[in-house]
Amino acid sequence: MTQFLMTAFHVLVFPGALFCVVIGILLAGIDRKLVARMQNRVGPPLLQPLYDVLKCWGKETIVPRHARRGLFLYAPLVGFAALITTALFIPVLSYTAYSTGGDLVVILYLLTLASVTMMVGAAASGSPFAGVGLSREMVAMISYELPFVLVLLAVGKVAGEGSALGCTFSLQTIVNWQAANGSILFHWSMIPAAIAMLMVIPCEIGMHPFDVAEAETEICEGMLAEYSGAPLAVFKLSHCVKMYVMTALFCAMFLGGLSTGIVVLDVLLVIVLCTVVTFVSMTVPHAVCARLKVEQVFKFYWTVVAGLAAISAILVWFGL
Amino acid sequence: MEFMINFPILAVISLFLGAFVTSLAGRRSETARNAVVLISMATSLILVLCLIKPVLIDGEIITYWLGNWQPVEGWAFGISLQVDALSLFFALIVTVAVFVSGVYSFSYMKHDDSLVNFYTLFLMLSGSVLGLVLSGDLFNIFVMIEIMTFTAVALTAFRNNYEGALEGAFKYLIVGALGSTSVLVGVAMIYSQLHTLNLAQIAALLPSHMNPVTVAAFGFLFVGFGTKAFLFPFQPLAADAHAVAPASISLMISGVLTKCGVYGIVRLCYALYQNMDQPFVQYLVTGVGAVSMFICVTMAFNQHNFKRLLAFHSISQVGYVITVAGMGTMLGLSAGLYHAMNHTIFKGLLFLTAGAVQHATGTLDLDEMGGLSKKMPKTTILFLIGAASISGLPPFNGFASKWMIYQAAFERAADGNIFFLVAAVAALITSVLTLASFIKVAQSVFFGQLPESMKDVKEVDQGMCIPMWIMAALCVITGLFPAQIQQWLLVPAAKAAMNAAAYIDAAMGNGYAAANGIAASSAAAPAFIGSWNPVTWLLLLLSVTIAVCLVAVLGNPNPKTTEVAEETEGDDKFESFFSGEKAVFSQVGGSDLFWGFKHNWRKYFSFMHDWHSGVVNDYALYGAAAIAVVLALCVIFL
Repeated sequence: MTQFLMTAFHVLVFPGALFCVVIGILLAGIDRKLVARMQNRVGPPLLQPLYDVLKCWGKETIVPRHARRGLFLYAPLVGFAALITTALFIPVLSYTAYSTGGDLVVILYLLTLASVTMMVGAAASGSPFAGVGLSREMVAMISYELPFVLVLLAVGKVAGEGSALGCTFSLQTIVNWQAANGSILFHWSMIPAAIAMLMVIPCEIGMHPFDVAEAETEICEGMLAEYSGAPLAVFKLSHCVKMYVMTALFCAMFLGGLSTGIVVLDVLLVIVLCTVVTFVSMTVPHAVCARLKVEQVFKFYWTVVAGLAAISAILVWFGL
Repeated sequence: MEFMINFPILAVISLFLGAFVTSLAGRRSETARNAVVLISMATSLILVLCLIKPVLIDGEIITYWLGNWQPVEGWAFGISLQVDALSLFFALIVTVAVFVSGVYSFSYMKHDDSLVNFYTLFLMLSGSVLGLVLSGDLFNIFVMIEIMTFTAVALTAFRNNYEGALEGAFKYLIVGALGSTSVLVGVAMIYSQLHTLNLAQIAALLPSHMNPVTVAAFGFLFVGFGTKAFLFPFQPLAADAHAVAPASISLMISGVLTKCGVYGIVRLCYALYQNMDQPFVQYLVTGVGAVSMFICVTMAFNQHNFKRLLAFHSISQVGYVITVAGMGTMLGLSAGLYHAMNHTIFKGLLFLTAGAVQHATGTLDLDEMGGLSKKMPKTTILFLIGAASISGLPPFNGFASKWMIYQAAFERAADGNIFFLVAAVAALITSVLTLASFIKVAQSVFFGQLPESMKDVKEVDQGMCIPMWIMAALCVITGLFPAQIQQWLLVPAAKAAMNAAAYIDAAMGNGYAAANGIAASSAAAPAFIGSWNPVTWLLLLLSVTIAVCLVAVLGNPNPKTTEVAEETEGDDKFESFFSGEKAVFSQVGGSDLFWGFKHNWRKYFSFMHDWHSGVVNDYALYGAAAIAVVLALCVIFL
C-alpha cells in the first residue's frame, strides 16, 4: 500500500505531473517575459501560459471532417504521458524517483515517442498544413538526433570511466560520478558537448529560431492547425513540460554535482538552474535570431552542432 | 525420447510431401488443396515446436543420419540433419512465418488463378528453407539454396500480369544464380581440401587446414550467403523482387529467405571457420552489415512504392543483425538473433498490411493514396504497431532488440575501438531515419484526405486480419518479455553457435573435436548493462496515460465536445483550415515529405539513384566485384 501511494505520489505530484506542469509553466512564462523585455516590449504576465491553457480547456473541441477521431483526440494525451514518464527518470539533483541501468536510452526513446504521438495526432487531423508541419518536425528530429546521441555518448563515457563497459547510461551513475568528481560542465573536454546540448534543447522543444515545424507565419502552426479546445491545451502543456524535461536533463547531465543534500533546497536550486539554462539556450536565441529555413536547420545541426559534440566525444574516448 | 530424432526430417518432409500432394490433389477441389497446405504447414510447425524441450531447454543436439549411414572410423559419408539450438532457433522463425504467410495467402490470393502452382511452389520454398537451417551437410545446404532461389524466383513472377514482375524475377534469377554459384564453388573448394561435406567434420578439420584454398572458400561462401540475405551490394535486387511479388511471398523473402543468409553467415564464421575472434572477420562482417544498414535506409527514404520501401527496410534491418553478429561476442550474437527474430515478426506484419492495402485499393503507390484510416481502421492500427516496432519505440519488440544492439556495440567499443562506436552511431541514426520513412507511409497512406477514387474501399476480411493480429500480438509479446526470451531462446542459440566442439562431438562421436584440437567453449551468459524491464515501464506509462485521460475526460469543463457526424456535412466549421479559402482536395503525399533533408543530401541521393540503375548487367557486375574484393581481402588478411 505504501508502495502504491509512493508511486502515485511520484507520478501525480513530485517529480511527476504536478511538479512538471508547474515548473514548465513557470519556465515558459519567464521565457516569454524575458524575450519581451529583450525586445523592448512589456510582455505578458508571468502566468500567461497557464491562462492560455485554461482558456483552451474551456473551449469547444472541433474534430474536422477528414480527421480520424480517436487518434486525433488521444494522441496528444499519450504524448503528454510519455513526457511525464520521462520526467520520472530524471534526477532532481540528489532526488531520483526511478532509476535503471539505461535511463539515457529510454529517455531518448520516450522523447521520440512524445514527438511521434504529436506527429500521429497531426497526421490524423487530415489537414495539409499538418502534413507539411509533421514533415518539417521529422526533419528537425533527424537534425538534432545525431548531436544529441553524440552528447549522450560523451557524457556516458566520462561518467562510466572504470565501469564494466567503460560507458554508462544510467543518469543516477552520472549524477553520482559528478557528486564525487565535480560537474561535467567544468571538465574542459566536455565544454563543446555542453554547448552542443544547449543548442539541441531549443530544437527538441521546437522553440524559435528552430520552430520550423510550427512556423505560424508560414504554415499556420503546422501540426496544431486543426487542434482546438482541450487537446490544444494538452499540446500547450506538453510544450511547457518539455521545457522542464530538457532543461532538467541538461542539469542532471552537466551540473549534477551541485546538490545541497536537502531535497527542498535542491528543488529550488533546480528551478534556478533550469531558468538559467532556459535563458541561455532558448531566450537569447529567440530574442536575437530570425527563424531558420528547414534545410538550414538540418545543415546547422549536422555540421556545427554535431561537430562540437563529436569533438567532445572523440576527446573523452581517448581519455582526455 | 528416441523417436524425437526423426522429427527434423519429418518436419522437412511434411512440407515437401505437401507440395507434391497439393499438385496432385489440389486440382480437384479448392478445399482439399487448402486442407493439404494447412496440414503440412501445421505438421512441420508442431514437429519443430516439439523439439524445443530437448534442444533449447535440455541443450541436446539431435543428429539424424539419412538411411542410418553413421560415420565410419571418423569419416562422415552419410547425409545428416543436425539440430542444435541455433538451427532450431531459425527453424522456429521459419515455421511460424511460413504458417502465418500460408494462412494469409488463403484469402489474399483467392482471386488469382493457377493457385495449385502457387501453393506447390510455396511449400517447396518453405521446405527448402527449413531443410537449409536443419541440414548438417554443406552440399545439402547448397541444394536447398538452389531450390529456395528458384521457387522464390517463380513466386516473384507469379502475378506476371503486374508491371515489372517478370523483370524483377529475371534480375533475381541472374543475381541469385551468381550467389548460388559462389556457394557451390566454396563447397567444391572445401571438399577438395577436406574430402568431406559433413558440417561437423568440416568444422573439426578446417582450423588445422587453413591454406589459400580454404581461405578463398570462405570468401566465396561469405559472398554467397550474403547474396541470399541481399546484403550490400546486392540490395537493389531485393527492392525489385519484393515490389512485384505477392505480399505473402514478400513476407517469405524478407522474413525467411534473408534469415537463411544470416544463418549461413553465422554458421560459417562461428562454427565452421571459428574465426570470429579475428579482427579482420569482425571488421568485414560488421562493415558489410553497417553499410547495408545505412545505404538501404536512405534508399527507403525516397521510395514511393509501399513494398519497395519495405524491401529496403528489410535489408536495412538485416544489416543491423549482421552488424551486431559481426562483433563476435556472446552479447552481440544474442542481440543479432533477437533482432533477426523480431525483424521477421514486424516486417512480416508490415508486408501483410501492405498486402491488405493493395488488396483493398489495387495500388501500392504512396502518392495516390491517403486517408485510408477511415476506411480500414484495423489495418491502420496494425500498421502503426508494426511501424512502432520497426522504429524501435517502446514497448514493442524493436526497442528491446535495438537496446541489446547498442549494448553490444558499446561493449566492443569499450577498449577504445572507434570502428564499433561509429557502427553504433550509424545504428542510432538509421533508427531515426526508419522512423521518418514510416511516418511518411502513415501520413501518405492512412492519414490525410481520402481521394475521390477510393471512396468505396472496404476493410479486408477476417482471413487476412487474423494472421496480421497474430504478428501484432507477437510484436508485443516479444517486446514485453525480453528477459525470458534471452533465457529460453537467445542464450542457448548463441551458446550453441559459439560451441563448435559440442556440435562436432554430437555428430562424430565424443572426443573427435578434442582429437582435432578444437577446445570446448566456455562462453558464459552475457552480462547486460542493467536489465531493461519493460513491464514496469509499461505499467508506469499506462498508469500515467490513464491518469491523464481521466483528468482530461472528467475535468473538461465544457460538455460541448463535438462529434463529427454525417449531419455536419456542409458545415464549414468542420472543414480543414485553408486560411479562409474554399477547401479543396489537398493530400500531402509521400514524395512531398522531408524536403529539408532530401535537399541537403541531394548529391548523395542522385549518386545513389544512378547507382541503383535497374540494369541487371550492372547488378551482376556489382556481384562479381563483391566476390573479387572479398576474395582479395580474405587472401590478404586471413
